[in-house]
Amino acid sequence: MTAPRADAPAAGQAGRPGGAEAARLWPIVALASLAVLVIAAMAVTPNFLSVENLRGILRNAAIVGIVAVAMAPVTLSGSFVSLGVTQSAMAAMVGFVVLIGWGWPDWLAVGAVIAGMVAIGMVQGVLVAAGLNPVITTLAAGAILFGTVSELTGGRIVRMGPARPAWGGGEVLGIPLEILVLVLFTGAVTLLMSRSVIGRQTILVGANRATAAVSGISHARVTLVAFAVFSVGLALAGILNAAAFGEAMANSLTGLTFSVIAALLVGGIAIQGGAGSPWQAAAGAVLIAVISNMMVLNDFSPGGRLAVQGAVVVAAVVLIDQVRRRRARG
Amino acid sequence: MTAARALEALRPYLLPLLVLMLTWAVIASVTPSFRGAASAYSVLEGFALAGLVALGLAATIIAGELDLSVGSMAALAAIVMVLCEDAGLVGAIAIATAAGVAFGALQGWLIGRLGINSLVFTIGTLILLRGITYMAAGHEPIMIERFEITDPMLDRYWVFSWSSITALATFGLAALFLGYTRWGREIYAIGGARAEAVSAGVPRVRPIAVAFAISAGCAALAGALAAARGGSAAPQNYDDLLLTGAAAALLGGISLYGGRGNVLNVALGVAILSAVGAGLAVRGTAASLVQLVTGALLLVVIGGEFLADRLGRRGRGRNGMSRASGGLS
Repeated sequence: MTAPRADAPAAGQAGRPGGAEAARLWPIVALASLAVLVIAAMAVTPNFLSVENLRGILRNAAIVGIVAVAMAPVTLSGSFVSLGVTQSAMAAMVGFVVLIGWGWPDWLAVGAVIAGMVAIGMVQGVLVAAGLNPVITTLAAGAILFGTVSELTGGRIVRMGPARPAWGGGEVLGIPLEILVLVLFTGAVTLLMSRSVIGRQTILVGANRATAAVSGISHARVTLVAFAVFSVGLALAGILNAAAFGEAMANSLTGLTFSVIAALLVGGIAIQGGAGSPWQAAAGAVLIAVISNMMVLNDFSPGGRLAVQGAVVVAAVVLIDQVRRRRARG
Repeated sequence: MTAARALEALRPYLLPLLVLMLTWAVIASVTPSFRGAASAYSVLEGFALAGLVALGLAATIIAGELDLSVGSMAALAAIVMVLCEDAGLVGAIAIATAAGVAFGALQGWLIGRLGINSLVFTIGTLILLRGITYMAAGHEPIMIERFEITDPMLDRYWVFSWSSITALATFGLAALFLGYTRWGREIYAIGGARAEAVSAGVPRVRPIAVAFAISAGCAALAGALAAARGGSAAPQNYDDLLLTGAAAALLGGISLYGGRGNVLNVALGVAILSAVGAGLAVRGTAASLVQLVTGALLLVVIGGEFLADRLGRRGRGRNGMSRASGGLS
């Protein structure tokens, strides 16, 4: 079709049915490796299974997980990934801090940030739906957002002041708020993708855009909905972070983009789209957080942890791709 | 006849050339200090960092792929250059660049051999290389101790410095390689219409390995030159090089659909962005505004290219189909 696609012809349509199967298989592989990791972690790190530590792991995974789950529909629909995650979530974070600082009530500020982010996401969605390259479009949008926020804040830290919401960084029924939002949001997006018409259409468009178009499924509508869901996740992540820290700046959340994509890939969501489920992205985020936590408890340097994380992504990507090909062939 | 043919040969450069002249005129008119040799010098300096990265990225875009790991590669090469200072200025830069070429060739070979999506693979190596960079630097900025070895980097010859001369020489070499060698032409073939090229006997893996070797090598050279110029390197640097590099390559007229564009296009794109950056810097504008402008320009360019492709395809009937299907993304 008119919109360019990233998969080389070799990895094209012929690989798709196998891709779906491999995506179904991958969660089992991922869960098995998670189990092996947890057992290994218990063996070498005495503190690993303490409630405090487990809660810490989930808390670390929560923000990345929320955004990764939110990006899943974009990837599933065949629009790859956003390279402007950090800047978008940062814009939501700074926006929330500023609105609270102005004395807006919590609920109004939350609503305004979500609405604002959805508007920004829709602009990108329209461009991508029209046929622009999603990776470059989101890269450019991220740069524009970063530049705008930096200009508006003068590069300084903005603070909420005394109006900081009491629920920031808090707990509900003993469960940290971020984790609760991650669980609820993952459930909602997963249901949306697997049970609703638009969700099924999203996966069909990602699996085979030409066939979907012939069947009367609107690629534009699917892309817009995917970007709207993504924007809600970005807004939630920014708001939760802002409420927990009470301050934000243009350089906040650096590295989030690649952590989120890593979670998505390690979770086994096919980058070409059409195969996978949003909850896998959350599982990928938790898996990476577990590995990261094990390394922290075993005194790995930050650079060493990053290197291992990168190696895990490369290994997972190659492994998933090989499994998918094997299945497609046999 | 010859005039018409000359015009046809110039056609791919007309739009970027026009944009460059416009940008230059606007900047020179609003910023009186942006004139003459000083402005030429600062624009040429842009070739040494963002320009080299754009050149490397262009090779992968022409091959119908994309190398996202260039920023991390440049940061690692800068650290390697500082760590190897005992090899002397040229030696240290050469070691860092060679390491980049070797890594890129391996990365490209794996991508081609496994037939894996290059976006995904290079996101993994982007994280991996950044981790290695932090470890190699010991998690803090490092300095060249025998700082006298970097003295030649500060010399200035009219509008040139050793870094811009090195960068321009690399552009020249890349132009010859991509335009006139078998391995270079293969990159175009594989990016323009991959299935057809492979059927016609073009190897599937080698052009991709070569393209990624060029991109990592150029990024490494850029990082090493910057470290030599500044006498130090920090492991967190160069996160935004991907944006600037991609913007420059695409601004100049490298096609995102693969197989089209050449080194002259990249040079024009770099000159445009470099002029914008230098012009804003003269006015004392923050770097964040440069990012904003870069992002906006990038959006305009890919939008324009998309529209041109649409209109062109309508004119040419269905001929555009196979080209778009082979492209990256």
